[in-house]
Amino acid sequence: MPGHRTKGFCASAAALALCAVLAGCGGSGESAGGGKVVLRYTWWGNPDRAARTEQAVALFEKQHPDVRVQTSFSGYDAYKQKLAIQATGGDAPDVMQLDYRQIDQYASGHVLLDLGKVEDTLRTGEIDPGLLATGRVDGKQYAIPQGRGTETVVYDVKAWKASGVPLPRKGWTWSEWADDIRELARKTGRPGATDPGQSEDAFEVWLRGRGKALYTKDGGLGFTADDLAKWWTFTDRLRREGAVSPAEQTTQLDGSVENTPLGRGKATADFNWDAPSSGYLALIPTGVALAPMPSGDDGTPGQYFKPSMFLGIGAHTGHPEEAARLIDFLLNDSGAAKILGATRGIPVNETIRERTASELKDFDKTVSDFQASLEGTLKDPPQAPPSGDNALQTTFQRDYDQVSYQRMSPREAAKNYVTEAKAELRS
Amino acid sequence: MTTTQTPAAPPARAAAPTKRRPKRQREGAAWVFLSPWVLGATVLTLLPMVVSLYLSFTDYDLFNPPHWVGLRNYVQMFTEDPRYWRSVMTTLTYVVIAVPLQLALALVVALALKNMRHGKGFYRSAFYAPSLLGASMSIALVWRALFNDGGTVDHLFGNGGWINRPGWSLLAVALLTVWQFGAPMVIFLAGLQQIPAELYEAAAVDGAGKWRQFVSVTVPMLSPVLFFNLVLQTIQAFQVFTPAFAVSAGKGGPADSTLVYTLYLYDRGFVASHMGYASAMAWVLLLVIGAVTAVLFRTSRSWVFYASEGDR
Repeated sequence: MPGHRTKGFCASAAALALCAVLAGCGGSGESAGGGKVVLRYTWWGNPDRAARTEQAVALFEKQHPDVRVQTSFSGYDAYKQKLAIQATGGDAPDVMQLDYRQIDQYASGHVLLDLGKVEDTLRTGEIDPGLLATGRVDGKQYAIPQGRGTETVVYDVKAWKASGVPLPRKGWTWSEWADDIRELARKTGRPGATDPGQSEDAFEVWLRGRGKALYTKDGGLGFTADDLAKWWTFTDRLRREGAVSPAEQTTQLDGSVENTPLGRGKATADFNWDAPSSGYLALIPTGVALAPMPSGDDGTPGQYFKPSMFLGIGAHTGHPEEAARLIDFLLNDSGAAKILGATRGIPVNETIRERTASELKDFDKTVSDFQASLEGTLKDPPQAPPSGDNALQTTFQRDYDQVSYQRMSPREAAKNYVTEAKAELRS
Repeated sequence: MTTTQTPAAPPARAAAPTKRRPKRQREGAAWVFLSPWVLGATVLTLLPMVVSLYLSFTDYDLFNPPHWVGLRNYVQMFTEDPRYWRSVMTTLTYVVIAVPLQLALALVVALALKNMRHGKGFYRSAFYAPSLLGASMSIALVWRALFNDGGTVDHLFGNGGWINRPGWSLLAVALLTVWQFGAPMVIFLAGLQQIPAELYEAAAVDGAGKWRQFVSVTVPMLSPVLFFNLVLQTIQAFQVFTPAFAVSAGKGGPADSTLVYTLYLYDRGFVASHMGYASAMAWVLLLVIGAVTAVLFRTSRSWVFYASEGDR
């Protein structure tokens, strides 16, 4: 064989191998099973949320024997990527959980069904109109929030108490937080918290504490490279001191609680959203508690109630009616509410909220109490983030990686980010 | 690149001389037999290529219709995107590490197997197995677990695992490729067996030792195969995706250290929804690989020895 291997043969083999790079991708599928209507329902979350969702779905299937629901879930980062690919391939799930930052992009990209078409099945009468409006784009309802969430400092109660450092308190500022974290690291011999530098969410809270916002009203960038450089200098110093998690730990964050330093037993506290923090309980059996996010140095609160975990229907679904029925069930059915508790935040259906408030137990009650403690003290939420924010959240993490691995100065990385963000928001 | 036209049914020419008919018919039959490949190549390769060339001059978010922006994607890529250049450097580093290592390993194993008396078939299969397994996502995930902190490599070397250290992560990805040396190994083995034994005998008679025989007989006689493997592996290495994607959990991290070209292309196209930009990146990659291949062919004149041409 090699004797016959001529240049011509080599050349054509090479040419073929070359072409492989340009042949892209494609394909879509339609599922059907056994005479039943099959719905695909996807969400992100932790195993606790998964178990409860499966239970609720089973109840739905019992009530609707003609429908079978195929569920799938993953951590937020993986979910976001997968959904993006399904959406662009015209293969979005029938029912999908969405983040606030995905609504604008997917609504204007015709991925989501106008829920006005199924309003007879999907009842929204018992949801606060202001909250409901957060799922509207250009006057049409594309998604419905399942709850509202707010950010929190979640911490290992036993470890924090044992360290002797005063417990987190309402109204603490970022510099008080930093002092406590330093003290914790000194006493416990491990970082006090996850490095918040990588988190666009934490940055937003810090920024709002200084009276600014991530985005302007017309969807431009609401801060300057100076602001970001200041934030990253702050976190960079804490990391160098060993007060927050080292780069090798921080880079493993993927939106799941299992891969956070707190979840891995390598730190005492973390930043997260309140409802998903239930996932820590499986990892820290001695218990976790929720504390408010630090405020600006003049006491301006940065955190806010964010409409969370929207549900939407794929624009190309073959079964809009059944999909609407599933969403209606998840939002308005009292049986479902009992199972789901506050795993996606406090229920939005007001009747159900009132009825179940007293029945909430365990971590659901913790979340409910935490939100009640903040009621009336927070500023209004920002408007829905522009389309580009979905990609920028990842860019933010990546650029901070350059800082935490000491490949760039905070200022250099901040300038890079602002350039990238402006390009992203322009297009 | 060879292009192929779609099979057009040969027009029935009643007036055609009867003498030509058999050949025409044979040609027709050839096209029929070729049709599966021709159809596949046209619909799955050629057409998408043309579309991607068009898209590379547009701003296309996959949801709304593309609109023409001329050369903007290319200009942005070369002048305004530091991450693009980082991905280029990462890919070049990867190619320079993975290709020579893989070929060297393949050749060494092939040489060892060639002179084996017993169990040759078994070892050949055993060494080839990773090539079959290695391209799969599951092995890449195992790799991630091996090199993660708390993983096997961490326990052996105690440096916190490679995949979370920017200086080491790319090496972990490259090793996954190197480990799949089976395909070039089998080709080397076939090449080695084609070398006439009398050449070695003649060399031995002239007093050449093992090393001398390797340098003066094996290498020149094997050079066409070596060249073939080099070209193919280089082209594949430029397009590496799966190992980098899986080992870095889709992010190309830490600190972009495993953000190889195609991974960044995927990120731009499917995660950030800039398909026009991604298409432009794909075309630049095609041109660069084409150029690198051309350079390899040019240099091959001075070191590849074609026995068949020598006979002429």
